[in-house]
Amino acid sequence: MEVFLPIAQVFVNPVEILLLSAIVGVLSGLFGVGGGFLMTPFLIFMGVPPAYAVANEANNILATSVSGSTTHYLKNTLDYKMGFMIVIGGAIGTVLGIYTFTYFKGIGKIDTVISLAYMYILAIIGTLMLVESLGEIDRAKRNLEVKKKLHVHYWIHGLPLRMRFPKSKLYESVFTPILIGLLVGFIAAIMGIGGAFILVPAMIYIIKMPTKLVPGTSLFVTIFVSVIVTFLHSINYGSIDLMLVLMLIVGSIVGVQVGQKIGEQINSSGLKALLAILLLVVGIVIAYDTFFAEQAQKEIVKALNQDLNFFSKFIKEFSEDMPFFYGLFSILFAVFLGISAAFIRRSISRFRKKYFNKTVKQSK
Amino acid sequence: MSEIIKKLPSEIKKNKLKTGVAVVLSAYWGVIIVGTLISLD
Repeated sequence: MEVFLPIAQVFVNPVEILLLSAIVGVLSGLFGVGGGFLMTPFLIFMGVPPAYAVANEANNILATSVSGSTTHYLKNTLDYKMGFMIVIGGAIGTVLGIYTFTYFKGIGKIDTVISLAYMYILAIIGTLMLVESLGEIDRAKRNLEVKKKLHVHYWIHGLPLRMRFPKSKLYESVFTPILIGLLVGFIAAIMGIGGAFILVPAMIYIIKMPTKLVPGTSLFVTIFVSVIVTFLHSINYGSIDLMLVLMLIVGSIVGVQVGQKIGEQINSSGLKALLAILLLVVGIVIAYDTFFAEQAQKEIVKALNQDLNFFSKFIKEFSEDMPFFYGLFSILFAVFLGISAAFIRRSISRFRKKYFNKTVKQSK
Repeated sequence: MSEIIKKLPSEIKKNKLKTGVAVVLSAYWGVIIVGTLISLD
């Protein structure tokens, strides 16, 4: 069974997309990484043109980060002040990224740039993760403990305009979070990823935020960055396909919940090496596609409006006639699904606690 | 430096897994860097 995507103009198998999105969601929940750097290449392998894969994955990331961030908001594990500083840099970086995207699209090289960027990002993350996980396994075997250095200062800590961040108990230059946000926003705009793999280590090792505030604040920043990326891609290129976005969001939200539950029960340090190998394999497949495989001309299907069903026709016309409102709608759609998922998760968790407590009391 | 080179064969024998990973990663990076250079040419 195949479904035609009215905006991306390709046929996809919805079961495959839902399954892949759920698997990537499980990995995200299990290892605490964003799934963008895996899901976008998977979409490209499934025949979705890279420029569309990037934009739609950004919209999916918006829903998952809204869902995660709502949970952290309810737990009060968010530093808004620090988050807003990173968002300022993120907004500038996103705009710069969209300009770069437009430049490469203009010269017809955007697909190659996206593929190369993914190949190197996956190779770098995969290598670092593999080395780190092998080190962890090695240390665990020899029962060694690593003494971490406290208060290492880099040039970035000497920047001017310092201000207090009471929630994180820090006295830091405003330029530190802004510069980190700039880098994250730039990469997010070109690659359609949340940038958590840069943001989280930067918040821990460079900004030196308390670890408990890092995931929530990182997700909070990702919301704004992915809103800007989704909106700019939507109004500039009309590349958001709500049919694809819906499949991605449903798959990933369910997958993340399952991944988090599995993560609570198993020790994931051994599995980290497997994820690293998976990243390296995806990287080498992209390399093969870019360098060695014959450039198969992807079939672009030009569907006439009368061939489309009501929903596809509505999406296509809405996107073409009112790109501004379509962009806004895509954002609100993702935000609504994300918040709903967070509340459903909370209700389920409360119900389970109540039910579990009752059965425990009864057994006593 | 010469000390490190002298110890290298015994270290390789001792850490077969680490040596394997290092060789595979070097080959991996070699392929993608050479591939990039060729495709940019």
